Amino acid sequence: MAENKLSWTELRRALATRAGVSEKEANTFLNALNAQLVEALKQDKQVKINGLGMFRLQAVAPRKSVNVTTGEEITIEGYNKIAFVPEAGVKELVESIQPSAGGSQPSAVSRQETELIDPIQKLGAQAEEIVDILGELGQRPDGAETEQELPETEAVVEPVAEAVVEEPKKPKKKEAKHKEPKIEEAKAEAPKPEDPVIEAPKPEEPKIEIQKTEEPKKEEPKKEPKKEPKKKEYHFMRDTLICVVILLMLLLIGYFFLRNHISEWIDQLVAPQPTEQVVEAVEEPEAVEEVVEVVEAPQKEEYELLLTENITDGSRLAWIAKKHYGNKDLWPYLYEANKDHIDDPSKIMIGTPIRVPKLSAKQRNMSSAEFQRLKEEAYGRIKN
Amino acid sequence: MLTKELIGLVAGATGQSKKKVEELLSTCNAIMRENLMAGKAIQLQGLGTLEVKEKKERVVVLPHTGERKVVPSKNQLVFRPVATMKDELKKL
Repeated sequence: MAENKLSWTELRRALATRAGVSEKEANTFLNALNAQLVEALKQDKQVKINGLGMFRLQAVAPRKSVNVTTGEEITIEGYNKIAFVPEAGVKELVESIQPSAGGSQPSAVSRQETELIDPIQKLGAQAEEIVDILGELGQRPDGAETEQELPETEAVVEPVAEAVVEEPKKPKKKEAKHKEPKIEEAKAEAPKPEDPVIEAPKPEEPKIEIQKTEEPKKEEPKKEPKKEPKKKEYHFMRDTLICVVILLMLLLIGYFFLRNHISEWIDQLVAPQPTEQVVEAVEEPEAVEEVVEVVEAPQKEEYELLLTENITDGSRLAWIAKKHYGNKDLWPYLYEANKDHIDDPSKIMIGTPIRVPKLSAKQRNMSSAEFQRLKEEAYGRIKN
Repeated sequence: MLTKELIGLVAGATGQSKKKVEELLSTCNAIMRENLMAGKAIQLQGLGTLEVKEKKERVVVLPHTGERKVVPSKNQLVFRPVATMKDELKKL
């Protein structure tokens, strides 16, 4: 007798003695049983054996995978696998093994009895088993539920985590953009030193992003140890990680993109190169063409022209004023000189040429009545 | 397929009476159960192995309360098919 295995021969022998048949007979029976079992599986996909359990063919659907070495996508073909579900009573018996060998007693008794009594004994044992099962059913649900619902927890957790990553970021970007026009207005009233304020909100953005991106990372590792090392969960964790990584990459890309722009703007502010415009440029195509033809605006005051600039992405009147006059609050003069082709001073199309008039010392005085008038007019044209 | 049908098939293949086959089958199952209870694996020639395996205890988290629970270890009856049978049934 092998230590931990009941071999085929042993089974056959035991069956022969117990059932009172010859070993040969027992052998034919067992062989036929196995052969028929396989046939039956092929035919019906499931075979139930009373007193043992159910053999079942489980179809595994074809699925896609990636060749690890080449990174190539491959399809793993579907196949059948053999599943065995023990009968409830047998399961119960097996589960009770450790406390004592008590579960085996009914059958142990039957060994000593004659064949005729055996079935009756079995009925008794089965009745006991059924009672056990019923008792078990009362307890089982908790365990079963927790297992099945586990994946759901993650499902709940995951979207939230993602949402956290995305939400705070977008509104902030928008805020930053919306703020820009307002800042401009504020500056028109307040004096120079505020200039850095324009740049301040932008450089901050990267910082915000970095903080955001780190948070989800920290959360992830914490979750992992909590969860159980079940395979399904690993898949889930992997998916979550992939999502997070993609988000991180998007954030980084956005950050670099923005950074380039910021440096561009800074360059424009520093270097005296022709360019400027307002962020949210709304279309006014006709205006551009008109400008080319209009030689000089029909103004009361004649301005001596310094030069002409073209609005570029991210530029605005206040910045041009800052560049040429050294004071962004003087932008109403720019508007005055260009109002023949600019409708709303806060919305100018990219590429619109801006005439920059020369200002006399008198005009630079911001408390003059003329400036106040121009300022009021310019502000009156801003539409929201 | 139910046990009765299987018994019918086996009886047809061996020439034994259905009653006899049924008896043999139930005795066979009894023997197998006893041996499983004794901690032995059962080798079924051409089919596979039936054996009792311990499933380790593990921690689950209740989704509603976030509470963690330890599911105690327990024994399970598992069937490991023989490679030939596995392959035979893989493609149908």
